[in-house]
Amino acid sequence: MTEEILQPDISGPVFNHANGRLLMPETRYWPTDMWKSPWSLPTYRRGAAVLAGLITGGAAAAWFLGEIGPRLAPVYSFIEAYALAYGVPAVLIQIFWTFIKGGILLLAPLVNALFAVWWERKISAHIQSRMGPMYVGWWHGVLQTVADGIKLFLKEDIVPDCADKIVHWLAPVVVVIPAILVFAPVPFGNELVFADIDIGTVYVFAVGGVSVMGIIMAGWSSGNKFSLLGGLRSAAQLVSYELPRTFAVLPVVMLAGTLNIAEIAGFQAGYWGGIIPRWFIFYPVVGQVAFIVFLIASVAETNRVPFDIPEAESELVAGFNTEYSGMKFALFFLSEFAYVLLSCLLMAAVFFGGGAAPLPFLEFLPSWAWFLSKVLILMFCFLWFRWTFPRFRVDRLMDFNWKFLLPVSLLNIAAGGILIWLLS
Amino acid sequence: MKNYIDFAADAFWNTLKGLWVTLKVLFLPAITVQYPTEKIVPYPRFRGMLAYDAEACIVCGMCVRACPSKCIALAKAAPAPAPVPVEGQPAAPAAKPKIAWYTLDYGRCNFCGLCEESCPTKPKKALWHSLDYEAVFSTRAEMVRSWKRGDDLWGTARNTAEGQLVPVTDQIHIQSVPVRK
Amino acid sequence: MTKETPTAIKADQMFINFGPQHPSTHGVLRIALTVEGEVVIKGDPDVGFLHRGMEKLFEARTYSQGLILTDRLDYISATHNNLGYCLAVEKLAGIQAPLRAQYIRVLASELNRIASHLVFFGTFAVDMGAFTPFLYAFREREMIMDLFEMLCGGRLLHSYVRVGGVSADLPAGWTEKCREFLKFFKPMLKDYDTLLSGNPIFRSRTGGVGVISADRAVSWGLSGPVLRASGVNYDVRKADPYCVYAKMNFTVPLGKNGDCFDRYYCRMLEMGQSVEIAFQCLDALAGAELTPGEVMAKGVSKMLKAPAGQAYAHMEASRGDLGFFAVSDGGLNPYRMHVRGPSFINVAILQEILVGCKIADVVAILGSLDIVLGEVDR
Repeated sequence: MTEEILQPDISGPVFNHANGRLLMPETRYWPTDMWKSPWSLPTYRRGAAVLAGLITGGAAAAWFLGEIGPRLAPVYSFIEAYALAYGVPAVLIQIFWTFIKGGILLLAPLVNALFAVWWERKISAHIQSRMGPMYVGWWHGVLQTVADGIKLFLKEDIVPDCADKIVHWLAPVVVVIPAILVFAPVPFGNELVFADIDIGTVYVFAVGGVSVMGIIMAGWSSGNKFSLLGGLRSAAQLVSYELPRTFAVLPVVMLAGTLNIAEIAGFQAGYWGGIIPRWFIFYPVVGQVAFIVFLIASVAETNRVPFDIPEAESELVAGFNTEYSGMKFALFFLSEFAYVLLSCLLMAAVFFGGGAAPLPFLEFLPSWAWFLSKVLILMFCFLWFRWTFPRFRVDRLMDFNWKFLLPVSLLNIAAGGILIWLLS
Repeated sequence: MKNYIDFAADAFWNTLKGLWVTLKVLFLPAITVQYPTEKIVPYPRFRGMLAYDAEACIVCGMCVRACPSKCIALAKAAPAPAPVPVEGQPAAPAAKPKIAWYTLDYGRCNFCGLCEESCPTKPKKALWHSLDYEAVFSTRAEMVRSWKRGDDLWGTARNTAEGQLVPVTDQIHIQSVPVRK
Repeated sequence: MTKETPTAIKADQMFINFGPQHPSTHGVLRIALTVEGEVVIKGDPDVGFLHRGMEKLFEARTYSQGLILTDRLDYISATHNNLGYCLAVEKLAGIQAPLRAQYIRVLASELNRIASHLVFFGTFAVDMGAFTPFLYAFREREMIMDLFEMLCGGRLLHSYVRVGGVSADLPAGWTEKCREFLKFFKPMLKDYDTLLSGNPIFRSRTGGVGVISADRAVSWGLSGPVLRASGVNYDVRKADPYCVYAKMNFTVPLGKNGDCFDRYYCRMLEMGQSVEIAFQCLDALAGAELTPGEVMAKGVSKMLKAPAGQAYAHMEASRGDLGFFAVSDGGLNPYRMHVRGPSFINVAILQEILVGCKIADVVAILGSLDIVLGEVDR
């Protein structure tokens, strides 16, 4: 349908502003039509086709690449043999290898933030009937986060006059370092783990808990009352929600008999009756309750809606990061998304069988592809919650934790024990 | 205890229902307009930027009196000398009054439409609200748009520094872009 | 740290300037809060940051020019302000608007009520931390604004209702569009209920917070949904019908507890009632007895001269009982114009109900009062 533009016949000078009245199209933008049958719209069909193409293409690429984890050992032995032949001490080679792996691990939160911010913006936009970023990058604003990162990097770093300068400077560092360290024992697929340590689960919760310190420091040192309130709120919240989060994993640990995350993931391989995967989420009652408690507590640990009371935009302006700008603010942001990724990785490894395929005939795809897709789906849940729910009030938040989540998770441990007794 | 469990179950169910609402919208098409590339064409009665037609104007000054924010100013041109009456013929009608200059201050205009309503010229109004909503100015001086006989251009800004009218460049107009498909 | 402060605040208390630059004060309201931890001990609303001297400005404008000022009072529901002003001036000058114009006025003001309550719904959700309902509310509000744009050319500041009638008759095809919107909108209310009203977090944030008892509400002079949420059945549309509200068939939703949730839900139910009234108006306008095109009283000039005297007219705006008191000395301009703004009177009760609540509740209570600072500060 093309609209005609009716030009008025103005004799005399042609005015810029008086360029004319337009003949109105019968219908302008009027969303009722769209809501009746979205499938009839060409953009919608095109979007679905693009999505299907992306999934198929991604699966094909993953199949082509195959497993990455098992290939690393030959690479290491090749380097080791080559270096030993030249008389390099074995310790140095190990240190060198650790540094390479550490560098790759350091990239994980950064790449994750680049992707996750864009993804959050797109998901939130489409949940709200918007488009989200559309201009930066070639397709649907894929490079928006890069542009934002450059902007944050170039921004002036403002330190308030009444701030405690040293602590103010230190706070983002204290927040972001545990957020990177915490990825060490987490598997990204079969044999794709930086530090295969036996107390992986304990390590993750212990190191992740250090970030609270940074948030309190940020709140205290900013010299802003809203920041202070945000910092204190977060201290109470994060310390409280550590408990149900840890307790939710305990049944899994009891069942698998190990604290090593990679081994917990490996424990869940195989299928019941050849169809239902032996993931922990499919263990009756115990698995589902543990997963829900862990999910809720993880959302709370990452300070996201509905548990974002430390930031609480409408109450505390921006909470603990009110007075942060530029790269320091970006570090807080980075650590938030790093913890989101961590929670998703943990959930995928502990409750969804890590790299195991959901159905036996789908095992042709490598484990890291399955792991990644599970993480993406779980991350979508995080974003979905964020853009659906209102925020808790601070005292109700504590009630919810101590009067609901904690008793339920404790009961669940007992139920897990009964389940083990029944299974044995 | 039963109340506790009932409440928890009810809360859980309602939470899931809320999630369903947002999930539903996630798969519906977006309703926003990507502004600089897609532009909405307003409806005919839209009160956009004021437009002025010097040929139709009869210099009655009704718009000046109607305006609540006093954003319009005008001046009447000196009347042409009346034709000498010729014996035996009816007297020639009086010449239509002409405008000398006309000024609109968009910085003051509050787009109420009272001036357009009070404009008595027929069938075309001499002053009306166009559909242009892209009112972008970079200086206050630019907001004062003047028309002057001989200068021949409406889109001029009074350059206060030099005391003369200069044409305005770099302004996009709604009329110059295609209608949203 | 041990600096002397002029205010009498104890060592374990903290003074917080809640606003005027704060994301959830809905404009430029300042609340001087004294808190102890998270608990508010004292809260004083401080208004006047948006004062423009509206009532004085009326005195320097003719009656038709003064109408433009009323748009800027409560800019979320401009048609209500226009209507209130016009009712007062018509009463002063003894003008009777034609019947068709009166139906159109009721229709426009009900549409505007929906739009205004949608803004409340969206901003209240944002105050509670849910961002998505805001966009949903504005999606529907956009359609109402389109309807108003078709009707009068203004999207936010309508100036549609004029002294003696309305500025123009309904354009061709408008009634169909309006019906389409109302049919689309009604099921949407159910979605809002699912999304927000039924949400347990939202219920726990709003239920039992900021309770105003019925006699308290009356003695503070509250009006509108804030009053009706406390269980007082007072609606100007029923108590003192203006235009053709006497012919309309609708119910006035009442609350029980007078807490934030009741105030919120009263407005949600009112939107449903507004849809009903709008349908009745559309049916009446389609009837044959109302001549199309006759929307302005005869003999109302732009330079209206009201006889010396005074008149007060009030109407039910979306925020409460909006009254205009006009005094004329027989000249072109009103001698005095006083506005009884519901927001201004509703905001006063903040100082009483804020005491003892949490900081998070301040936002909830302020949001549930649904004030517009343009009207508070005038």
